Amino acid sequence: MKQKEDNILFVGIDLGTSRSSICASSGAKEWIESYVGWPKDFISLKVVGRPVLFGSEALQNRLSLELCRPLEHGIIKEGIDRSEEAVREIIKYLVEISRPAAEQKIYAVVGVPADTLKTNKLAIRRAVSEFVHSLMVVSDPFAVAYGMNLLNNALVIDIGAGTTDFCIMHGAIPTEEDQKTILTAGDYIDNQLYSYLNEKFPNSKFNKNMVRQFKEQYSFVGKSSGEIRVELPVDGKPVIHDITNEIKRACESILPAIIETSTEMIARFDPEFQVKIKGNIVLAGGGSLIRGIAAHIQEALKVIGSCTVVSVDDPLYAGSFGALKLAQDMPVKYWESL
Amino acid sequence: MISMIFRKRKHRLKESILRGVFEENLKILGKPPFRISERMPLSAKKISLSFLVILLFILGHGNSLNLPLFQEKQTIASSSTKNYFQAPEIPFALYDNSANLSDAKAFLKIPGVPLSRTFGLSVKTVMIDPGHGGSQNGTIGKMGTKEKDITLDIAKRLKMRLDKYGRYNVIMTRENDVTLPLNKRVALAQSYKADMFVSIHVNYLPSRPTNIIETYYFGSPSDDTTLKLAERENADSQYRLSDFRKIIEKIGNTLKYQESKKLAASIQKSLFSNISKEDGNVQNKGIKTAPFLVLLGVDVPAVLAEVSCLSNSKEEMKLNNETHRENIAHYLEKGILDYLNKGEASYEAKRR
Repeated sequence: MKQKEDNILFVGIDLGTSRSSICASSGAKEWIESYVGWPKDFISLKVVGRPVLFGSEALQNRLSLELCRPLEHGIIKEGIDRSEEAVREIIKYLVEISRPAAEQKIYAVVGVPADTLKTNKLAIRRAVSEFVHSLMVVSDPFAVAYGMNLLNNALVIDIGAGTTDFCIMHGAIPTEEDQKTILTAGDYIDNQLYSYLNEKFPNSKFNKNMVRQFKEQYSFVGKSSGEIRVELPVDGKPVIHDITNEIKRACESILPAIIETSTEMIARFDPEFQVKIKGNIVLAGGGSLIRGIAAHIQEALKVIGSCTVVSVDDPLYAGSFGALKLAQDMPVKYWESL
Repeated sequence: MISMIFRKRKHRLKESILRGVFEENLKILGKPPFRISERMPLSAKKISLSFLVILLFILGHGNSLNLPLFQEKQTIASSSTKNYFQAPEIPFALYDNSANLSDAKAFLKIPGVPLSRTFGLSVKTVMIDPGHGGSQNGTIGKMGTKEKDITLDIAKRLKMRLDKYGRYNVIMTRENDVTLPLNKRVALAQSYKADMFVSIHVNYLPSRPTNIIETYYFGSPSDDTTLKLAERENADSQYRLSDFRKIIEKIGNTLKYQESKKLAASIQKSLFSNISKEDGNVQNKGIKTAPFLVLLGVDVPAVLAEVSCLSNSKEEMKLNNETHRENIAHYLEKGILDYLNKGEASYEAKRR
C-alpha cells in the first residue's frame, strides 16, 4: 500500500495544544512547544532579533512578545488573538524542518485535538494548505491508534494539555459516538497545582510557567519515590520547599474524570467485545508521562473487570508518527482528489 | 494459510479506514463523496448522456407539464416574494402587532430611559445558552458542520467579550459538548437568578439557498415556518405545541414580554446591520414570536437568536472560519449592550 514515489514527501504533523511535532518520510523528526510570539514593537524586534519565535524560545522572551498558544481556543494570559496566523507559523516552521527537496510534492496528514476539529476544520486546512500540496486532517487519538496498528477493539486515551480525548477503535473510522473529550488534562493539573502551592506558600513568588515545569519534571500518582523539593523565592531569597503532596494531589485530580469516562465508554460498547477493549487500553499524550498513571488507572478500572492499561513508548511523537503512517498508506488517487 | 487470511482481513480493514479518512476530508471541503475519477465504460457514458438529454428536455418544459416538482418551487418562490413584500419598512418592526400597549409599556417607551434606571436595578447575570449539544446535534451542514459546535463556540466568544467589562456575571448553560435538556437550561437560569437569557442557534432552510437572520421571543408562532422551527427547536422537550396554547394566552403584555421584544430588536438590529455589510444577500427576517420552550421558563428578558444559516454552503464555509464566529459574537455583544445601556448618556456618547 505504501507509495514509493521519490517526488513526494509524506509528513505527519501532530498539532497539539501544548506541543506540536512532525515526522517526515525523509526521516526528519522534530517537536516544538505550541507557542508563537511576535515582537511587540521595533525595540522588541531588536532584542529578540527575529520576526517570529517559537516554543520554549518564545516563552523565554515572552515579555518582549505578543504570545499566542493557538489551539487553546485563543490566547494565553499575556497573549493576543492571532490563532490562525500562529497555526500557520507553526506549520511553516515544522514543514521547513522536514527539509523537502525543491521539486518535491508534500502530502501531509495533520492530527489535531478532537474538539478543535469540530469548528476549525477549514481554518486548519487553510493554515496548512499554504505549505503543502495535499492534506488530510484527522483527530489526534485516531492518529495515535493508527500508528500503533490498534485498528480494532482498543481504547486510546490521549491526555493532552487542554483536553483528554478518548477514542474507541472498532475496525472502522471512529464516529462521534466513539470519541469523547473532557477538559481535565494537563492545564487543569497546572491550575490545581498553582492554587495548592499558593495556599501552602502564600509568601513565595512563582508563576504558572514555573508550576508547569514542576509538573513536567516531578509528576506522579500513587506512591512517591521520595521527597520533591524545589526552590522558590521568598522576599527575594531562595527558599527550599517540599511540594510532594501538592504534586500528588494535583496529578491525581484528573483521574476520577478519566476513570469515569473510560468506564462509561467501555460500558456502552457492544458487550461481546468489551473484554477485548478492556485488555487493550492505551495512554498517549504528555499526560501518559505522569509516573504511575497507567498502573493507577488499571487498578481503578478493576471494578469493571480485569483491564490492561499501557502507555505509548514515545508520547511526543506517537501522534505525528501515526499521521505519517496514514499519509504513507493513503492511496495516491485519494491524495490527488483533494 | 490462516495467517494469510488474517493478513488479508487486516489489509481490507486498513483500506476501509483509509477510505473513511479520505471521505471525512472530502466532507470538510464540502465536496461530494466518491469523487475519485474512475474510467466509465462507453455504454454507461451513452446511457448517462441520454438520461441528461431527457432531463434537460423535462426541465425546459417544466411549467407546461405542471409537475409536482415545480409546484413546490413555485410555492417557495411565492412565499419568498410574500416575505419580501411583507418586510417591514421599519427594519426591525414586529410581525406580531396584536398586543395592546399597557401603561407600563407606555412608561417604558419614554425615550432615553434605560432599563436599569427605570427599576433602580442593573443587569448583573447574563445567561448565554448555546443551542443543542451532546447527542443533540441540531442542524448539520453539507460539510458536516454541526449546529451544536458552532453555537458553543460563538457562546464562548460572547462570554469572553462580556466578561471583559467586569460588570456582568456571565454564565453559560453548557461549556462543553454535553446533552442538556431544555428544562435543565431553564432550571439553570432560575437557579443562577439570571437577569437576561440569550439562546444562540443556527437556522436551516433546506429548500432555500439563502442566509437569513432572525431573532425570537416567546409568543404565538408568527407563521407556518416559525411553527416548524419551534417544533424542531423544542424537539428535545416532552411538550407538544398545543400544550403551549394556554400559556401563550396567559402571558399577555407582561414586562418580560415587552423587554424580551426590545432585547430581540436590539440584537437583530446589530446582527443584521453588521452582517449585511459583509454579505449583501443576507435577508433580514426581523424579530418574531414563537413558542420556544427555552424562552418560556425564564422570567426575565429572553430571546433566541438564529445567527446564521447552515443550509447555505457559503455560510457553512464562513462559519468554519473563526473570524466569522468572532464577528457574530461581537454583533451579539453589541446588541446586548445597546439594549442594556439605551439612554445612558456616556454609552450613547461613545456610540456616536
